[in-house]
Amino acid sequence: MSYQEKRTLMSIITSVLLMVSYSIYAFGQAGMEHINDLQFWAKTILVFIGIGIVVLIILQIVFHILMAISKAIRQKLSENEVDEKEIGRSMRVETTEDEMDKIIEMKSNKFGYTIMGLGFMAGLIAIAFGASAVAMLNILFFSTWMGSLIEALMQIRYYRKGIQ
Amino acid sequence: MPEKLEITNNIRTLRFFAHEMTQQELAEKAGVSRQTIIAVEAGKYSPSLELAFRIADAFGVPITEVFSYTK
Repeated sequence: MSYQEKRTLMSIITSVLLMVSYSIYAFGQAGMEHINDLQFWAKTILVFIGIGIVVLIILQIVFHILMAISKAIRQKLSENEVDEKEIGRSMRVETTEDEMDKIIEMKSNKFGYTIMGLGFMAGLIAIAFGASAVAMLNILFFSTWMGSLIEALMQIRYYRKGIQ
Repeated sequence: MPEKLEITNNIRTLRFFAHEMTQQELAEKAGVSRQTIIAVEAGKYSPSLELAFRIADAFGVPITEVFSYTK
């Protein structure tokens, strides 16, 4: 599995875990107590987005450190010495973002935006049929999350199957 | 709509004749990630013209020796 696939997989797992914790918190006791309090929901969503960004940054750093350590161990086992310059070079080659990454990103973004657009439509339809603003906010949040999840899954698919 | 061309490459052979150049070394010379070289070599990604030239340049051969197509 390549660096890009591992990184994408890591962000998928993080976002799923965050969505599960959001659902447990928001649709549990706290959410039921503020069922029509738009301010509560806006604050909760903002806090979870913030947590998501911080967790992702921390995991990226940890991931890079672990990757460098695993390269050093492998080098030590095969050559009995650790060449820091070689590890640095190897890390650069693995993590370089090039034209293929950009094309894959663009292609998978299309899927993400489509899901988000559909979510926006679903939110409008929900309001039109008498749902509350809180329901629309949750539909928008869920569709944004689903859009980024599909986008990440498509990225893995393109890395695996290739793009022609 | 024009028919799709099947683009093939000789990267594996050229790496062998370049003293078994590794994919990492080729990636460094071409300025891309190793993942991209793996994908190009396996025929899973058709590179841009610029990258195709850079790969050919890494081996010191004309582009037609690296890539070819069949209709």
